[in-house]
Formats: sequence, C-alpha cells, structure tokens
Amino acid sequence: MSRGSELLAGTGPLLRLALRRDRVTLPAWLVGLGGLVVASATAVPAVYDTPEKVAGYARSVGSSPVSYLMSGRQPGLDTLGGVVANEISQVAQLGVALMVVFLVVRHTRAEEETGRAELLRSTVLGRHTATVVALLVAGIAALLLGATTTASMLAVALDPLGAVTYGLGLALLGLVYAAVALVAAQLSSSARGALGLAGAAVAVGYLLRGVGAVQDSALVWASPFGWAQGLDAFGQERWWPVLLLLGGTGALLALAGWLTAHRDFGGGVLAARPGPTRAGRALLAPLGLTLRTQRGLLLGWGAGLLALGALYGAVLPTVPDLVASNPEIAQVFGASADAEQALVLAFLQYVHVFLALLVGAAAVAVALRLRSEEESGRLELLLSTPARRERVLLDAALVTALGVVALSVLAGLGLGIGEWATVSGASVTDAVARVGDQLAYAPAAAVLAGVAVAAVGLRPGGSALAWVAVAFVAVQVLLGETLRFPGWVDALSPFDHLAGLPGEPFAVLPVVVELALGAVLVGVGVVGLRRRDIGS
Amino acid sequence: MLCHAARVTAIELREVVKVFGTVRALDGLDLVVEQGEVHAFLGPNGAGKSTTIRVLLGLLRADSGRAVVLGGDPWRQAPQLHRRMAYVPGDVSLWPNLTGGEVIDVLGRLRGGLDPRRRAEMLERFELDPRRRSRTYSKGNRQKVALVAALAARADLYLLDEPTSGLDPLMEAEFQRAVHELKDDGATVLLSSHILVEAEALADTVSIIRAGRVVQTGSLQDLRRLTRTTVVAETARPADRLGEVPGVHAVRVEDGRVACEVDSDHLQDALAALTALGVRSLTAHPPTLEELFLRQYGDDVAEPAS
Repeated sequence: MSRGSELLAGTGPLLRLALRRDRVTLPAWLVGLGGLVVASATAVPAVYDTPEKVAGYARSVGSSPVSYLMSGRQPGLDTLGGVVANEISQVAQLGVALMVVFLVVRHTRAEEETGRAELLRSTVLGRHTATVVALLVAGIAALLLGATTTASMLAVALDPLGAVTYGLGLALLGLVYAAVALVAAQLSSSARGALGLAGAAVAVGYLLRGVGAVQDSALVWASPFGWAQGLDAFGQERWWPVLLLLGGTGALLALAGWLTAHRDFGGGVLAARPGPTRAGRALLAPLGLTLRTQRGLLLGWGAGLLALGALYGAVLPTVPDLVASNPEIAQVFGASADAEQALVLAFLQYVHVFLALLVGAAAVAVALRLRSEEESGRLELLLSTPARRERVLLDAALVTALGVVALSVLAGLGLGIGEWATVSGASVTDAVARVGDQLAYAPAAAVLAGVAVAAVGLRPGGSALAWVAVAFVAVQVLLGETLRFPGWVDALSPFDHLAGLPGEPFAVLPVVVELALGAVLVGVGVVGLRRRDIGS
Repeated sequence: MLCHAARVTAIELREVVKVFGTVRALDGLDLVVEQGEVHAFLGPNGAGKSTTIRVLLGLLRADSGRAVVLGGDPWRQAPQLHRRMAYVPGDVSLWPNLTGGEVIDVLGRLRGGLDPRRRAEMLERFELDPRRRSRTYSKGNRQKVALVAALAARADLYLLDEPTSGLDPLMEAEFQRAVHELKDDGATVLLSSHILVEAEALADTVSIIRAGRVVQTGSLQDLRRLTRTTVVAETARPADRLGEVPGVHAVRVEDGRVACEVDSDHLQDALAALTALGVRSLTAHPPTLEELFLRQYGDDVAEPAS
C-alpha cells in the first residue's frame, strides 16, 4: 500500500543519521551497562564457588524482603545461574529501561523541541518515520544489551537455556519501555516532561514488581518487569509471557502512532494556557527565578520520592511475616524476635540508602540546570544584567541544597506514612524517626550535588562527570557486595562513611566532613565560573 | 566610580585577540564607538560580530589586547557596567515556562527596575502578547521580548546583536523608530547586522569586520567619499573609450548607454569626457552600503587577506 510506505518514507537515511549521532552515546550505554553485567556475571561464580555457598545464598537471599523488593522473586536461586540473574537484575533491568527512555526521547521530542525535526520533516519524511527510527535505535540497543548479557552468562558456563531466556527478557523489557517513552514523547510538549513521564512509568513498573514480589501477589503481573521475570529464566523456562511483552509493546506503539496522527507538529496533547502579564512578587524575590526554573523538576522528584517512600513503608509489615513463613531465616539470624528485628533494620537501611541515592540523582539534575541554562544562551542573557556570576552559581547551589533537604524530608515522610498506615502500633514518633534517619543520609547526596556544581562551574562540558559520579555511587551501593571492590574504591562513595541508620549509632563526624566537602566543591565551582568564558 | 565626561568613548577595543581552540575568532580587532552615536557593526556570519559583543559584555575574556567599555574593564567590572548597558542577543532563548511579561520583569528587576509606562508602551508598539509562555513564542516574538526588555531599561549603551533578523517589515520600521529615539536621548548603540538597508537607515558610523578584524571603519559619508560613484549616462556618440579616462572603472556600454564606476577625486575628468560625447541623460549615485560591503569583500576575495 503506497500510503503506508509514505508514512514511513525516509526511514533508512534517518536511521543512519540517528546512529551516527549516537556513535558515542550508544556505545557508552552498552559498554557501561554491559560492562557492569559482565563484571557481575563473572564475579558471582568466583564468590559462590561451592554448592554449600550457593545453598546458603538461596536460604538467606531467597527469603529476604529487600531482595524481593530489589530484584523480584528470581527462580533457581539454588543454582549459580539463578544467583547471577538475581544479582544483576536490578542494574540490568532498570538500566535497560532507563537507557531506552533516554534514547527514545532524545530522538523524538527533544528533536522536535529544538526545531531540528522541523528541518528534517520538511524533507521527504513520513509522519511516523521519527517514531519508527527511535524504536529501531532503542530496539537495537536493547537487543545488544540482552545479547551481551546472554554471552557473558554463557562465558561463565551457566545453563544455556536460562541465559538465552534471561537475555531475551531483558531485550523485550527494553522494547516495552521504548514504546512507553514513545507515548510519553507524544503526550508532553517538552523533552524534560517526556523524560519525567517515561521515568515515572519505569519507577512505577519497578515498584509494582517489587511490592508484588514481597507480597507474593498477582501485582507482579501488572508490571513489565514482572512479565520479563515471568519468563522464569533459570527456573522452568516458559514462553507465553513473551506474548505479554510483545502485546504490551504493540498496544503502546499503536497508541503512540494514533497520538502522532492527532496532534500538531511541535505541540503536545496537553495544551498550554495563557499566563500572567506581570511577574509576581515570588518570581522577583531573591532565588525567585532559580526556584521557578527548578519548580517542575523538584515537584516531580518530590512527588515520586514521597510515593516511593510510602510504598516501601507499606511493605514494612510483611517483613516480619517472612520469618514466620521461613524457619531457615530464624536459623541465620538466631531467635525469632531478634531475626525479625534484624530483618526490619536491614530492610530500612537499604530503603534509606536507596532513597538517598535517588535524592542525590535529583540534586545532580537540579544543579546541572545551570549547564542547560548556559547551553541555551539564557545564562548569557542573565549575565548581561548586573547579576554576578558567583551569585547565579550560589543561587543554584542554594536551591540544590534546599532541594536535598526537602526531598529527603519527603522521602522519609512517605516511609513514615506508609508504615503508619499499615503497621499496627506505629506512632508519629516512628514517622519522625524515619524523616530524621533519611536526613542523616542527605550529606551523601550533598556531596554528589557538590560534584555537579564544581563540574559545571569549572568547565561548560563538565556535567558528564557528575553523572559518572552518580553512576559510580549507585554501582557501589547496589552492586558493591557482589563486585567486591577494594576498600579504597568503596571509600570513594560518600555512603560508605555514613552510619547505617537505623541500627547503628549516629556518627556526627562523617556528616560534618561530607557537608564541608559539599561546600568546598561549591567554592571550586564559584572560582571556576569566575575565571572562565561563558559559552553557549 | 565610572566617569561621566562630556565626550567619552563608549567602546574602545584595541588589538583584541580571542582564540577558540585553533580558530582565531578575533584577530587583532580594533573598534571605537563614541558616546551618543549609532554604530553599525557589519559582517557576514562567522566574521566575529557576536564574539566581539560577548567580549564587550565580559562573558568572554580577550586573550590579548585592550578592552574598555563605558570607561571600565568589561571582564572585571561586568556587574557595575551592566547597570548602564542593555543587550539583545542574536539568538534569543527564554525560560520556557515563564510568560513573555514575566521574563521582561525579571530582566528589568535584575537591571534595577524598569519604567512601567515605557514597558507598556513598548509592548504595544511591538504588538507583543505578554501572557504567552515563552516556549510558544516564534523566533521573532522571542526577539521582541528581549527588545522590549532592553528598550524599557533606559541604558547608556545598547548592544544589539542582529536584533531584527526575525522581525517582519512593520516591526522592523518600529525598531528603527525606537533606535532613533534612543539616539535622541543621547544613548550609544552598537548595532551588529548584516541587513545593510537597516544599517544605512540608522547608523552614523560603520565598521566592517572580516575574519576577526575590522577592515573598514568611519562615517558613512567618509566611506562613500573614499570609494567610487556609480555613473550611468546616455550619450550621442559611442563611449567606447571612456575606460581610458583616469579613475574610471568597470565601463559597460550597451545600446548607447554607458555605466561606469568613478573614483571620487576623478569625477570631474569623467564628467568632462562624457560631456564631450554629448550627454542626453545622466544619473549618478553614491555607492550604497551594499556596494561598499560587497566591494570590501570582493577585493579581499581577489587579493587574499594577508
């Protein structure tokens, strides 16, 4: 049919252009994520080198609520393949989902927003070509990541059927979220908005699977993460969840296609309303402009962290149940009451650190706004007024610091609310304690934010360094025990020095040192920005 | 304090060099703009116009050379100097979730407040809807936001970097009126442009920049005097030998009509020669800025710059 081919005209040339533009980004994602997966997959067999150790893993991790929340209920934990799959699943699954979201938005809404797509659309290009090309790029990336995972599993002689099934699940999960991102790119009229929507969909999917796994309920089937795990790699491999993954992708693609056909080029589905003629007092106050430009980002992260904390809190009452249902835990942790207590504390520590890591990522995103301000030329316009460079940077740093505090409070509050709503006997004091403990982890986020401020102050292109720091800390927190870094590598992560609350006594010194380090990094940023050219 | 003498040089750049990697964006640039004049800064894309303006704003630090703006050092005293300056970027980017009106107020506040009457007047004159979110503005409308913010600011020095590249002809006329008013108020304007008609209509003095150097500078009159007048005549007898007259160039003869370019100090000789041939009609006009500009670039193409 000629009409169909017209809608997809120019796919070949546009795909080549997209791959050429991604000649650094795409390999970076694949080498970074693939490298982590390969490193973990090869490290695990060395650690669990006897059947006794594997059985021990199955006993302890296989009944750990933290593990359920992070990685779902991975089958075959009494085999090496199951152990590897369980260890890498968090990084691999979240990684592939976030990778395709970034890739898709980069090639669709971001292009449209900058106006580059307009130039391309004026050539012989079909209406759906950009959508298909973004899907192809993301699909290729997801397939390569799945293939890398399978290959690394085969390299350490894991069960071949399990390895192929696991890699397939990963690739198809990527495909589903590529389609989710395509829908998000149609709904929102800005790239940031599209990233936010699709990122929220990743978070919701991940959470539903985790909570469903802890409760051992059908909730896992509401999540693409659950579908991918439903392939039962290294357990009793089954193929029908492939239909769920492909069907979900197809349905989302149809929705994205329909939305593309029913909106104006450049516009979103959500229309813009007229705004105020004059600037209000809040906007003209000190920090007003900085707060306004960061408002959406902070509100989005705040709502997300509150919800995430609440979900984790709501899972809390099921943690002690695991002791009752699984006598082996009691053997590991000793007496029943102690075991329950230890499990709850370990669970809370993990949740606090994970939430603080997200607060750190949010803070880096907030601090790096300065970079996009400079790139777009808005910083130039701002600095053509009497506004001082150091003032602009310090405003950004101050808003970032306020953001770290506010987001930590919200995350801790969410945790407290979730706990209060579901745990009988939980009091307001417990909720306050959650907020306090969450704040005690905030200095680590402040260090990450400081790295971002210093990077953007020193060099216009320094922002990548800040994300490298976030990625390193995430790997140290989530995979450190698997990868067994040398001590000095672990010591580079700010989380490594903070007291493990609740459970351990609060330590003042690391908090003071890390806050001071954050302040010094901001100072480095100020000195850097004062001395360098402002580019665009 | 910055001095306010009666006749100060508003902008003085001497031998300014700015290198980006391997590219010499400014290569020994000299630029002098006296206070109270409208100075057109002409050159094609990539000649170094925006880089020069960024040095004047203290956004870029010159690698060598001397830069003085309103009597101060643009790099070290930027915030103080900016109280007396207003800037319209060539490629205006605004905060997408702020309305045009909000952007104007924010910039005005940073400059220490703006005159609300003048703000309202400029909004009306440039027919700008201040309620729309910046992300929905076209290029021309974003430019209008920056223009209104700058024009409502009451500055001593206006740096306008191709301010009309997105405006329609009606708005372009309004812009020219606004610049005339600035001049009447005694403000200095540096107008970077490649729209020569606009520069010709507005500018007292002109600098032509090429590959990071100013290759021609002076008042429009001076520049014209230095170059050739275009003469077109109809003569009774063929003007085949007109080219032999000293100072006459580019002679083209067609159907009894002759067109040529004459050096200003040989105009007398050329007219005498034409009269001898029996003049039936005669038009002569000074070179347009476009001719000046093209000649400058044409010459440089013929004999490559050293």
